[in-house]
Amino acid sequence: MYDLIVIGAGPGGYEAAIHAGKMKKKVILFDKKYIGGTCLNVGCIPTKTLLKSAHVYHDCKESGLYGITTSAPKFNMAKVQARKKKVITTLTQGVEGMLKRSKVKVVKAAATIIDKGIVEAEGKTYKASNILIATGSAPAVPPIKGIDSKGILDSTSALGLTKIPTSLVIIGGGVIGLEFASLFSDLGTKVTIVEMLPNIAPGIDTDVTSHLKEGLEKKKVKFNLGCAVQEVKNKTVNFKDKNGTKRSVKGEYILNATGRRPVTEGLGLENIGVNTNRGNITTSDEGKTNIPGIWACGDVTGRCLLAHAATAEGLVAVNNMFGTPTTMRYEAIPSVIYTNPEVACVGKTEAQCKDEEIEYTVSALPMAVAGRFTVENEGKFGMVKVLVGKAYGQLLGVHMIGSHCSEILQGAVTMIECEMRVKDVKDIVFPHPTVSEALKEACIHAG
Amino acid sequence: MATPILMPKQGNTVEECILIAWKKKPGDEVSEGDIIAEIETDKATFELESPASGELIGTFCEEGDLVPVLTNIGVIGKKGEDIEAFRPSEDTPAEEVSVSSAPSEPSAAAPAATTATASAPVTKAEAESVPQAKTVSPRAKKLAERYGISTDAISGTGPGGRVIEADIRAYRATAPRLSSLAKELVKDGYRMPQKGTGIGGMVLSGDLGKPGIPLSNMRSIIASRMMESLQEAAQFTLNASAPAAPLLAARKEIKAQKGKPGFVDVNLNDMLMYITTLGLAESPDVNAELIDNKIYQHDDVDIAFACDTPKGLLVPVIKEAQKLSLPELATRLKTYAQEAVNGNISPDLLSGGSFTVSNLGNLGIESFTPIINAPQVAILGVCAIGLKPVKTSEGVQFVDHIGLSLTIDHQAIDGAVGARFLKKLVERISTFKLSTEISHV
Repeated sequence: MYDLIVIGAGPGGYEAAIHAGKMKKKVILFDKKYIGGTCLNVGCIPTKTLLKSAHVYHDCKESGLYGITTSAPKFNMAKVQARKKKVITTLTQGVEGMLKRSKVKVVKAAATIIDKGIVEAEGKTYKASNILIATGSAPAVPPIKGIDSKGILDSTSALGLTKIPTSLVIIGGGVIGLEFASLFSDLGTKVTIVEMLPNIAPGIDTDVTSHLKEGLEKKKVKFNLGCAVQEVKNKTVNFKDKNGTKRSVKGEYILNATGRRPVTEGLGLENIGVNTNRGNITTSDEGKTNIPGIWACGDVTGRCLLAHAATAEGLVAVNNMFGTPTTMRYEAIPSVIYTNPEVACVGKTEAQCKDEEIEYTVSALPMAVAGRFTVENEGKFGMVKVLVGKAYGQLLGVHMIGSHCSEILQGAVTMIECEMRVKDVKDIVFPHPTVSEALKEACIHAG
Repeated sequence: MATPILMPKQGNTVEECILIAWKKKPGDEVSEGDIIAEIETDKATFELESPASGELIGTFCEEGDLVPVLTNIGVIGKKGEDIEAFRPSEDTPAEEVSVSSAPSEPSAAAPAATTATASAPVTKAEAESVPQAKTVSPRAKKLAERYGISTDAISGTGPGGRVIEADIRAYRATAPRLSSLAKELVKDGYRMPQKGTGIGGMVLSGDLGKPGIPLSNMRSIIASRMMESLQEAAQFTLNASAPAAPLLAARKEIKAQKGKPGFVDVNLNDMLMYITTLGLAESPDVNAELIDNKIYQHDDVDIAFACDTPKGLLVPVIKEAQKLSLPELATRLKTYAQEAVNGNISPDLLSGGSFTVSNLGNLGIESFTPIINAPQVAILGVCAIGLKPVKTSEGVQFVDHIGLSLTIDHQAIDGAVGARFLKKLVERISTFKLSTEISHV
């Protein structure tokens, strides 16, 4: 009899298991594939590893801007892939070590819930007072003719490419599609994005996304927005553009980056009647499902498809099982797009403020107001935009684009999490010279 | 020539009105008949029309001011015209009295205690006897503001429960930490929660309770009238029920006549009001008021009825109801109820009742304890119709019964008197016949 069974060893599941283990609870963790889940194996970490290599390659090519002359750099995909594997191995071992230290039993097998508190894996049954479902998500396959045919890449297979494509057509202009566009365009691939919506990166501040689009266009990325894909055939994507005109674009590779779907097959949700909404497990802010003793966190809930949100939700669920009751707060969940230039956001967008009828003022400054940005980003653009509540001057949202912005985002997260007013931010000392000073300047500029 | 705008006299008993809102501002062009302001008596809200066309060239009172009737509140004229001639003199109360915190009350000019038919207004002394809000020392107040602490949640240890500086410090030592935004909101009247949901238990804006909604003028009046009634009368409630078949049969008969010339729709409530009126005409001890240890029995049945309106409870009065036929009474009831709901009922029709009926039957209430409309000595609550087992020669049968809840003031009436009155009503209901009543004058 366990205190907790966790199904899924991604950042939602393994962090929750470790947290419960540290509380001296008897915990068992199942995963049918790998420790670390999508994030560590086929998501955040491998993507960022490849992006780093692309970044270095790009910097080498631009080294002349900083007074350095080199011979033409070469991108060795085999070595880059080998490094990616090494990074994944290192980090996975780190997670395994933490699980071991927290005395979490790990079983690498698919687990099925056969009844309340009972899980079956490899023919054995396991009992627990609590079950946390953290099975995550997988690339979605939309109902487009030919999109599931052989040779069409998804994010997982794209990360395993052993050669640099000469051309790549990406279906989907969301976060995943944009990161791959940035990666391969930096490596010289001719990238075309076909997106159904009129804007890229829905949900992100539109000033930021228009700068991002410009930045990627400089890398020769072509955008077909407002275009509905009709069929994928013979390495060609056929689509109707916003005027209804039939068009097509051919690529050596085609990447389906249309989104992600929750992974619940084989989990046995139907055995106990867990409520779902379009496949996503419905949860409360405490992490509870409709069935007592069954909890869920992360992508499988469809609430916020980000690794750190999954972790936070998992910890909230464990605290509600064994510790101090608490609720999940989504007001200050940061999000980053690791393109080059990168995008970092937290809090409300202008569209959300308008929706919620919150009166706000906008203060936007180029990142060049911070000396360090100019020093380190020859000829590059960056922007910090803050939204401030009109009545009380509290920081509502911070939206940034430009090098380093993902690393200064945490400051903004803390400010929003603590509901600081811009006049409180003014009292905080920022290190000089750093790019973070642009954030402070934007707050001062807001009044 | 400029035209003054007068605070109108809304009925004979109204001496002052509150200017709720200006609908036009100085400089606005207005036409005769345009709505220029909204005013409120202690009973209802009214719209004030412009007496002339022109420009609103000046106003003499602000929103929330309590203004004596027939006082100039503004002037319509041409731009540049002198308005000083119209300005009310300084000694009128309009300039001094603001009703932002205290409920207004009708002027003491109406000598309620001596006229037996008038309902007693709340006097100033009585209004002040209402328990005072918590007092806070100026130093404590200043400190609380500095720390963004609401004194609502703090119990004072000073003289008479006064909140003093030490209380604020003690509270702050144990109180949860507030985010900057939450502090601002607390200053604006948002309420502190038991605990915060932010990091380390920090109180965030979403944890705070919404600020309290101040009672409207009308709500304040209802509140003080109800409390006074409960404090000053020895109220107890008698419950009984009457067979409803005669009423239901009559209702069916009336429905069948729909569309015929001279048809008046008479519903169950109308019949009950009518039956109660007949009962009261024979029961002067119930149709009475108790004022200053004197019982004033009334010859006329001035029957009041509780009316649910969008702004709150109003109690219109049908004067001399004993002189009305059932169709006449039904028509009067519908008219008054509609006017009360619309907010255009004359204030004169909202006072002077000798007995009140409150009908919650259509909301399914089986019995309740109506609160006496002081200084009346009794109130009848009409309840829902429901089945009741009755023993007959053929065994136990389930028969429709209508519930009646009579609250009486035991100071003026004994239980047996109230019970006899209720019994009388039950008998009248069980023998009710439309054919005999419709011709009654």
